[in-house]
Amino acid sequence: MEHHDGIALEVDQLKKVFRDRGTREVRAVDGISFRVAPGEVVGLLGPNGAGKTTTIKCILGLIRPTSGRVAILGRDVASHYPGILSQVSAVLEGSRNLYWRMSVWENIEFFTGIHGLPRRQHRRYFEHLVERFGLADKRDVEVRKLSQGMKQKTAVVCALAKRTPLVFLDEPTLGLDVETSYELRETLKDLAEEENRTVVLSSHNMDVVQDVCKRVIIMTAGRVVADDSIEHLMGLFKTRAYRLVLRGPAPEGLEAGLAAHFPGLEVQSTPHMTQVRLRLPEPNDIYMLMDLLRDAGATIEEISQEEPDLEKIFLEIVRKERENQCNSRIP
Amino acid sequence: MQLAHTLTAVARRNITMMKRYLFNTVSALISVYMVFCLAFFGMKAFAAASASRALDGTFEGTIVGFFVWTLAIFGYSGLSWELINEAQTGTLEQLYLSPAGFKWVCTFNLMVDFLVNVAAAVVFLFAMMATTGRWLNLDVASIAPLLIVTVLGAYGAGFALGGLALVFKRIQAFFQIVQFAFIGCLVIPWRIPWARFLPLSMGNGLIYRVMAEGKRLWELPAADVLTALAVGAAYLAVGLAVFSTCERAAKARGLLGHY
Repeated sequence: MEHHDGIALEVDQLKKVFRDRGTREVRAVDGISFRVAPGEVVGLLGPNGAGKTTTIKCILGLIRPTSGRVAILGRDVASHYPGILSQVSAVLEGSRNLYWRMSVWENIEFFTGIHGLPRRQHRRYFEHLVERFGLADKRDVEVRKLSQGMKQKTAVVCALAKRTPLVFLDEPTLGLDVETSYELRETLKDLAEEENRTVVLSSHNMDVVQDVCKRVIIMTAGRVVADDSIEHLMGLFKTRAYRLVLRGPAPEGLEAGLAAHFPGLEVQSTPHMTQVRLRLPEPNDIYMLMDLLRDAGATIEEISQEEPDLEKIFLEIVRKERENQCNSRIP
Repeated sequence: MQLAHTLTAVARRNITMMKRYLFNTVSALISVYMVFCLAFFGMKAFAAASASRALDGTFEGTIVGFFVWTLAIFGYSGLSWELINEAQTGTLEQLYLSPAGFKWVCTFNLMVDFLVNVAAAVVFLFAMMATTGRWLNLDVASIAPLLIVTVLGAYGAGFALGGLALVFKRIQAFFQIVQFAFIGCLVIPWRIPWARFLPLSMGNGLIYRVMAEGKRLWELPAADVLTALAVGAAYLAVGLAVFSTCERAAKARGLLGHY
């Protein structure tokens, strides 16, 4: 796959403000910036209304940004539009990207055709993709007759068949059952590695992002609140999330004492044992935790690091961000 | 070369879709033919009842008018309906991702559709002539350029309505109005000075002179042909300007993918 030496995608201070009948302002994207290196597979995560789809559509020129700059492979999108689109393909809202009255193969030929690709020259690659996504025996079937999963796969194949160095996948697994979603993400992961494409994948499905992407950009309320490698984020949360089992019921005052220092505290107490889950704000806070437990007269029976998953990290980051926003509004 | 691949892809898609929606294509032609039969036999009955020959020339005019109207309706509604349908099915944004630019995808689509529409309208024309027993002069070299000039105005209306559809989505009520407005443009005699500036009117009059009076293109007054061309081009330009404005508004408001 052909790549620009520097940066595959650069988003600089991108902002999109929608005006509701000229009065109320909605900041869908609020001055975000990020860069994606060639060959990188990046996940775009965020709750509903976080601005993920608007960001992707602004990058693709489908929505006109209020301000900011987007560059693809070093070329400014606004000044090279629409020619720059030869470097980009996208799946937007899954199966709604296809002509349902045309077959899988006809859709592939049409969308690659309007992308400027000669169909005869790329026929073998199209066949390879159809095979990889398990659509070989359905290639001449009209899309409307396919299952939801097959439709989604066809949409992804149509995007990948354009052979662009940069691919955007907006919710590619939306509405799929667990098995099909797993199958699709495995194929995506393999293809991303094999073909060394730059992929920006937006999804609500944490498993998809965790499995396919190396890096994640977390958005909420139109802003980027975290931008890090998944491995680093996991490590960060792994070192600070603990689960403790104490002998007997929780000593009096322990919960209140811990709650004052540790966020996300959960205490479950029975007459025989007490389970405590907490996160250390700083790595050295482990000593403070031990002091508090000893002072309360607690006996530790078991202590283990919690294995965080992306979902927990995501929820924690979004929760924190919302708390910050609430605090900033209080005068 | 990239544009050639885009054109091929659009042509193949349109032909495939036409085959898949064959019932719709054929029924559209049959319904227009039935409307024509009602108009023709109604006029014939009226002429017989009044024992008059006053409507003699009108039969040829009706055939030419229906022929032009069919092409105009197919042209303008094809374009605007397509934009509405593409937005509904979710393929519109994919078309906008073509590196050739949406305007080229749209232009190729119009060209292919125009050829298909002409083929359908010619079949319809022969059906009308066979039904009425009035065989008109089919001088292709004269009719073809006049037909293109005439339907430019209809495509202008198609672009304008297509643009409005991008922003307002539900504009079906407008379709009926434009459809009847086109009939008005064809019925009003184009020799009335202001009627020359209506879409379709002047071109329809010139096509009538070729098909019913046997004139050749170069025998027609050059000023009339140029007026028809200027009027058609002006309506097309206005339509494109409306489309362009609406497209900008749709992109600014994030409406392209909505339906």
